[in-house]
Amino acid sequence: MSDVATPPEQTFHDLYRDHRGWLEGWLRRRMSNGSDAADLSQDTFVRLLASSQRIADLQEPRAYLATVGKRLLTNFYKRRSLEQAYLSALALLPEDCVPSPEQRWMLLETLQALDELLDGLARPVRRAFLWSQLEGLGYQEIAERLQVSERTIKRYMAQAYEHCLLVEL
Amino acid sequence: MNGSAPSAQARQVVRAAAQWLALMESGCANERDRAQLQSWRDSHSSHEQAWQKAQLLRQRFAELPSALAMASLDRPQTSRRTVLKRAVGAVALVPAAWLISQQLPLDVWSADLRTVTGESKKVQLADGSSLQLNTASAVDIDLKNRRLKLVEGEIALNVPGTSPLTILTRFGQVVVGQSEECVRQGLAGYKVSVLKGTVQLQPLRGPVFSLRGGQQVSLQAAGTGAVEPFDVLAPGWRDGVLMAQNQPLGDFLRELSTYRPGVLRWEPELESLRITGSFRLEDTDRILALLAASLPLEVHSRTRYWVTLVARKNNV
Repeated sequence: MSDVATPPEQTFHDLYRDHRGWLEGWLRRRMSNGSDAADLSQDTFVRLLASSQRIADLQEPRAYLATVGKRLLTNFYKRRSLEQAYLSALALLPEDCVPSPEQRWMLLETLQALDELLDGLARPVRRAFLWSQLEGLGYQEIAERLQVSERTIKRYMAQAYEHCLLVEL
Repeated sequence: MNGSAPSAQARQVVRAAAQWLALMESGCANERDRAQLQSWRDSHSSHEQAWQKAQLLRQRFAELPSALAMASLDRPQTSRRTVLKRAVGAVALVPAAWLISQQLPLDVWSADLRTVTGESKKVQLADGSSLQLNTASAVDIDLKNRRLKLVEGEIALNVPGTSPLTILTRFGQVVVGQSEECVRQGLAGYKVSVLKGTVQLQPLRGPVFSLRGGQQVSLQAAGTGAVEPFDVLAPGWRDGVLMAQNQPLGDFLRELSTYRPGVLRWEPELESLRITGSFRLEDTDRILALLAASLPLEVHSRTRYWVTLVARKNNV
């Protein structure tokens, strides 16, 4: 870092000044809502600032920003679809079972964290894991539902545990 | 989730912990397995740590309300396009929406009103009564003779004054004073429901009788059926809501399909699933998506006007 002429803060500032407008436009073309695009563009820069990437080393800053932006965009849609599924499920609850607004928000936060945790698991593995954890189903029952062997379920479960524990390492 | 990749050794420990857990939960573990697990945990502090972490993970899931968590985490996979469409749905899908034309003043004494499928209309009549038409309904208004003729579909009427109005149907007439009621034409005949006040039924066949608030009765060619308690969820349509309380899904879908243009079909095995909830009629596509998110079914749509609900296969 000693051989970098300008301090990194300064470089970040330049980068922000030169490319923020471009990134926001890039995101806006991919999203329906302008203020979401502005938020995500801000997040992209925050990620960059928090990452170990040396800003002075960036050859193609826009390509880099677009890569980070794309990842944030994917996460954004995942969160949005989770939120929609969550709200829909809330709407189906009988009135006296609906949690308080505060609980609803906390629950959504938790679900979003767990959704991210499970991200990357194959669909059947994910389902087997959820059925076991949330509904308390035994391996035999899960095997019947997924029409695979109990041994496969055991393998799925080990895979899911390993995935989650690794993410949290 | 920090930047540096875990060491190969740490990965190894995690994998072992995961396999132990899977074995313990399988119900196939015997005494020897348990003893081996214990000695694995005791053999190194990193093993015990991984084991404890795994227990915490299980606890995080165990503390969640299962139905909500299941519906959210096991949601059907949606494309970015669908998510976007739903996000802006309230605005973008207006043509398909449940349009309640609010309280259009209707200063004329006679008019023929009509709604198309998925539309509702609410009008204020010249005498102060309010009249609302449900989906695919038609009514002829003749206030001079204080008569309304229900041609098709369903109407809700709220008469504040004491001067009676007569609703004409093919099988008789309903005379309403200061009251609130719904009259619906179905395949087999009419259903008259009284929300407030009292109405008088004059069937073409059979004796005249009164129906009070909280009661409903069917009106057919052969006369009236038995008086039943009124279904409080039924008039939800007046506020643009379809309500169900532990209703067989088949009944719910038959009702829902009257609000959707096009064909809505479902597999017979879905008929007896149960459904509870309040659904905004302004976007029936969304109602179908909600059903798919909360019940074991999938929505297959060839076009928006040709939709089939099928039981969800387990191995998806």
